Amino acid sequence: MSHGLKLEGVGFAYKATQVLQDINVSIPEGQFVSLLGASGSGKTTLLRLAAGLDPVDSGRLTWNGAPVVGPSLERGVVFQDYALFPWLSVVDNIEIAIAKAKPTVRKADRQAEAGKYLRDLGLEAAIGRYPGELSGGMRQRAAIARALALGSPLLLMDEPFGALDPVNRARLQDLLLEVWELATPRKTIVFVTHDVDEAIYLGDRLVVLGSSPGRVIADLQVPLERPRERHSLLDSHPLQALREQVAATLVQDTLQRLKAA
Amino acid sequence: MSDFIALVNLPVPAATVPASAAEPGLERGWLSRALESVSVWIVLLLAWWVASVYLPLGDNPLLPSPLITANALWDSLPELWAGTLSSLTILIPGFALATLLGIVSGLAVGTSARLQRIFLPFAKVAGPVPPTVYIPYAIAILPTFKLSAIFVVFIGAFWPIFQNSVAGAHALEQSYRDNARILGLTRFEYQRRVVFPAALPHIFTGMAVGLAFSFILLTVAELFGANAGLGRFVQYYADFADYPKMVAGILYTGLVTFLAMTLLDRVRRRSLFWLK
Repeated sequence: MSHGLKLEGVGFAYKATQVLQDINVSIPEGQFVSLLGASGSGKTTLLRLAAGLDPVDSGRLTWNGAPVVGPSLERGVVFQDYALFPWLSVVDNIEIAIAKAKPTVRKADRQAEAGKYLRDLGLEAAIGRYPGELSGGMRQRAAIARALALGSPLLLMDEPFGALDPVNRARLQDLLLEVWELATPRKTIVFVTHDVDEAIYLGDRLVVLGSSPGRVIADLQVPLERPRERHSLLDSHPLQALREQVAATLVQDTLQRLKAA
Repeated sequence: MSDFIALVNLPVPAATVPASAAEPGLERGWLSRALESVSVWIVLLLAWWVASVYLPLGDNPLLPSPLITANALWDSLPELWAGTLSSLTILIPGFALATLLGIVSGLAVGTSARLQRIFLPFAKVAGPVPPTVYIPYAIAILPTFKLSAIFVVFIGAFWPIFQNSVAGAHALEQSYRDNARILGLTRFEYQRRVVFPAALPHIFTGMAVGLAFSFILLTVAELFGANAGLGRFVQYYADFADYPKMVAGILYTGLVTFLAMTLLDRVRRRSLFWLK
């Protein structure tokens, strides 16, 4: 039995369009994978397949050896937007996750545990408030808290910081790394982004998707030590070399597509 | 789905309107704004008064003056209050039952393609039937007048609430559905904690329409066979050509309707506080 997330020849079509074709990726447990690609390359689709929100059309998609046939608490998801229910307070949004993950825990204990997750993410001030009253950054913190509260060993994150300003984005990237690095065993994370720097800064590994149809055009290790230090890293030679390599791959893919059209 | 939307005439959930829409630079004090909001009332009252005094309508004026009407209203208050209570014993059960069943069945149908295939063709035909046509038959079939009036109020309020609940469940955003699936909510939890709150703006629109219908049907039903109630009061004094009391009854019924609609709107605002 192979551990982790495994995609073997996975394909997916929406109506007449082949969105993903012959995706072969094997992600071992505990790895942080950045899934990178241009808009329309099927990153989100791939994530939805892994979450079990949509069924694969062809190939095999397994988590810890078992085929993914539907959503499961094993695989938590953080969306870019609307991750929380606006009619529930922040703490209730987290509690509903805990209630599903640990059905036997009493309500008072669930509330206390939800509060703990929120405090870990710097949200103690927002506990009783509603998502509509929070800034985008705070909402995404709460969304991450909820995903963590589910206790899923695999976290699928779909451009979770895509709508944030640069300062908040950097802060949340660091927070995510901190939370991830502290946990034992480490969670497996698939992090979708179209920001090359973000992908490199966070990931152990970059999987780059080309478009039309979406397929893997590069699969690279990130040769950077952890814990990562933002300021020394961003200008470092390995990061720049990797950034250029990825950018070149993406440009080449775009050119090829234009030629074909 | 598209033909369904044509049926419902999809309501726009009313966003919370800010209490004061006045631009700061243009404010001219509370007095002038207060005058603006009562100006229509003042003009109508004056027109009414002038018409009642100067139009030659004989000894039994069809148009009683405001003062005479106010006196009639004062004298009739005990009777009107008793009528209100009688009417409410029809309105409240009918409207409450319509709300309960309308929401439950509407959300169930709105979230199930199969239930839609089964029920929507029927709803499309039965929904637009004017509920007033059921009144004589309901009175003939059901054992008491009260039961038949409750039934008619129920029918009238049910369809708008049902249709708006279906539309609300239909309009549920994909992201909420995805979230519910990821959390592994059971079907009941999904309905109660996701579909219902998400559809509430639509549901309240349906309830407002349903409540207005309820008052119409209530008063019409009372014309048929009631021995008390608001519609009955107006009809009774019209039969005796006691126009001051009749007009007083009309004004009083308008006030009760207004209060009920205001109460519903309060509940709506409180429940939808999370809407931005």
